[in-house]
Amino acid sequence: MAADSILFSEEERDILQEIMNIAFGNATAELAELIDIQVILSIPDVKIIDFQSLPDHLGEAINHGSKNSVTGQKFWGDFSGSGLLFLPVGTERILSKFLNVSSLDGGENTPEEDTLPPETLKSGLLLEISNILVGACVGKISGLLNTSVSYTPPELLTIDSSDYQFLLKHFNADQAAIVMKTLFQFEQQDINGLLLVMTNHDSVKWLKNALHEFINAYEG
Amino acid sequence: MIEKILIVDDSPVARKMLKNSIPKNRGYEIFEATDGRDGIKKYQLLKPEIVFMDLTMPGLDGYAALEQIIKLDNNAIVIVMTADVQPKSISNVMALGAFTLLKKPAKAHVIEEALDKAEKALNERG
Repeated sequence: MAADSILFSEEERDILQEIMNIAFGNATAELAELIDIQVILSIPDVKIIDFQSLPDHLGEAINHGSKNSVTGQKFWGDFSGSGLLFLPVGTERILSKFLNVSSLDGGENTPEEDTLPPETLKSGLLLEISNILVGACVGKISGLLNTSVSYTPPELLTIDSSDYQFLLKHFNADQAAIVMKTLFQFEQQDINGLLLVMTNHDSVKWLKNALHEFINAYEG
Repeated sequence: MIEKILIVDDSPVARKMLKNSIPKNRGYEIFEATDGRDGIKKYQLLKPEIVFMDLTMPGLDGYAALEQIIKLDNNAIVIVMTADVQPKSISNVMALGAFTLLKKPAKAHVIEEALDKAEKALNERG
């Protein structure tokens, strides 16, 4: 579906942006329960872009060519699509300090951690963070729009790469109908991440109705 | 007594949601500002009894605007409305002098209760 064939009014985009803002706030609060580190939020951006241009768009959005690990999770229901989390090289080392998984930050390991290779620990950490952020964010969006979704388990799509062309192969072109993204930063750490929620074009009609129902609940 | 309320939020939808959740039978005059800088400007101009302040905004964010408003008026009642409910964010805004913090989206009865609490505080201050 071509990006320009999906029509959202300015109000619909504003509602989506506010919903994404609420949802990501919820997600970071969940993460803050796990790690004692504040996540600095930015204003979410809602764009309808052509799927083919997504890798280039992301390359520019995320620190202009820095290497990232990408985890993803698909969800389906009335609201269907994918949640992707982009975290730069080294994130897992910093997060491991806060999660007491010390073998990635050079500290002493517990006996159980000794049995896991560092790469397994690294991917496990990235998947866990992804599961928390994507799950809480998509779950909140669904809740606000009065529906529920099911999820696939999170998967690691790439490690430490600045090339996102693989997304074109990994996802159906319909997935890029609406892209909701939020950049964030961990307090006092040089880590900038990006959370992106893409939705299928099949969800667009439902989504438009749900957005109106959401805002109508606040009409005076 | 509350006469004027200022809503500071960059999102027109968030402003609309809040505006429509404020009780209509109390005769409040409601004003809007679209970011922290605009919020400070309108605070000085309008002298509202209550400010509802978002945190994540372009330009001057809610933390900086809250700090500035409290510097201008130590008795200002600023109710922070935010989706960012991390414990550190909450403790930061309370340390800056926020009256209270409400989680977005707040239901009408939550807004009403916060306004009642603010009215009481205003009365106690004379």
